[in-house]
Amino acid sequence: MTLLVMIFWILAGATLQVVIPAWQHMGQPAFPFLLAGVLYVAVNKKPVYFVLTALLSGLLEDSLSLVPLGYSACAFLVAGWLAWRLRHDFHMRRAHMVMGLGAICAAASTGTLALLLRLQGSVMLSRNECLLRMAGAAVLAAVLAPVWFWLIRGMERLLGTWEDRA
Amino acid sequence: MKDRKWIALSAVALAVLVMMNLPDATSQRVKGAVRDGISPLQAALRGGVREMQDIFRYMRGWRDLALENRALTEEIVYLRGEMRMARDLERNNQMLRELLGFVRRSPNRLVSCEVIGRDSTGWWQTIRLDQGAHSGVMDERAVITADGLVGRTVAVSARTADALLLSDPTCKVAVRLSRSGVFGVMSGVGAKPGEQPVARIDFLLKDADVQEGDEIVTSGLGGLFPKGLLVGHVRNVEPDEAGLYQTAWLNSAADLGRLEYAFVVATEQDLEQAVMEDSSVDMGLVDGRAAEGETP
Repeated sequence: MTLLVMIFWILAGATLQVVIPAWQHMGQPAFPFLLAGVLYVAVNKKPVYFVLTALLSGLLEDSLSLVPLGYSACAFLVAGWLAWRLRHDFHMRRAHMVMGLGAICAAASTGTLALLLRLQGSVMLSRNECLLRMAGAAVLAAVLAPVWFWLIRGMERLLGTWEDRA
Repeated sequence: MKDRKWIALSAVALAVLVMMNLPDATSQRVKGAVRDGISPLQAALRGGVREMQDIFRYMRGWRDLALENRALTEEIVYLRGEMRMARDLERNNQMLRELLGFVRRSPNRLVSCEVIGRDSTGWWQTIRLDQGAHSGVMDERAVITADGLVGRTVAVSARTADALLLSDPTCKVAVRLSRSGVFGVMSGVGAKPGEQPVARIDFLLKDADVQEGDEIVTSGLGGLFPKGLLVGHVRNVEPDEAGLYQTAWLNSAADLGRLEYAFVVATEQDLEQAVMEDSSVDMGLVDGRAAEGETP
């Protein structure tokens, strides 16, 4: 059941991410629906689920954009690993804590992807542009992560798959 | 226990490395399959959003409906007259072409597409179209609207295609100024479409005749974009720091921020190939004159 819930939210996140255009400020970051899902799984589920979510979400994000296959999965794994490491330092029931965690992990994910794309040579951002984009992604994740966490938790409670690990 | 952890970590790292180093063709095939799989969801959501927008638009404008109806009726009468005249002209044109033995030089056709999404990462400025290789859409083809050029196709799967917008810094177009005939290469600046310049032409000679408001069209050089497609207008002109060249900043003719439908300029060969690949698919060709004739 957990796997099905996870797949549902990955598909929902990917669809919304494509339909909702990127934010036109702070380096034009996209709304990180997929990343928020990965973070939720990283802090609330067993690591194996988080790895699967990161790989699946990455595959979807890369397929729906011009990013080479595997790059987003790599960025999501970094962000998810960070969230997993920090899960005991942040109280996940408090919205501002989720906001903070989302912001840190989104910045890390964007930075990783920017580095990979630069190494690959398809996107050449300057350091300032990259920092601006990381800040933009952090702002969006801070807004989106608490809402996304609340929605997934609500669905999990409804289906009886939610376990309190916080 | 520690061994198991390392094995799991190695397996994950291996999976990511394999994904990142797949051959280009395999990678494109995987991406295409995933995109085609999710495109019905995107189209449905996009359709829902559009329905809601239409309802709100209708609710806001119901008072003006009677006036609008009257204006539209007048327009229909006028356009019918124009259409009759155009038919006569086309017949004459055709007759003269036949008399002169004129061969049609542009075998291009338009494939109509609905915009079902945008780049999901924000790293590029792209739109996703709901038609792909099965409808005759191929890689590196011009994408236009009734207002002008929008961009070019960059990644095509069986049922969808991604188009790189003019505003993307990696999108380069060979252009010409209609008034003065000056040539240049336009590149996107990644700015917010609709409000700021979306592209610029660098290295125009300092004495080149470029003025604000000048119309920019495709030059046809390079062969990617058909000649004469409207691209946009010059917003302002600036000399470069050394004073040797000038840069023209442009606004696109098409509103890149509000694209709902677009047309891909396909060749006869593209369509033939599509028919060969899947003869049963709906071709999605534009009705009316555009489908019968040449590209604008």
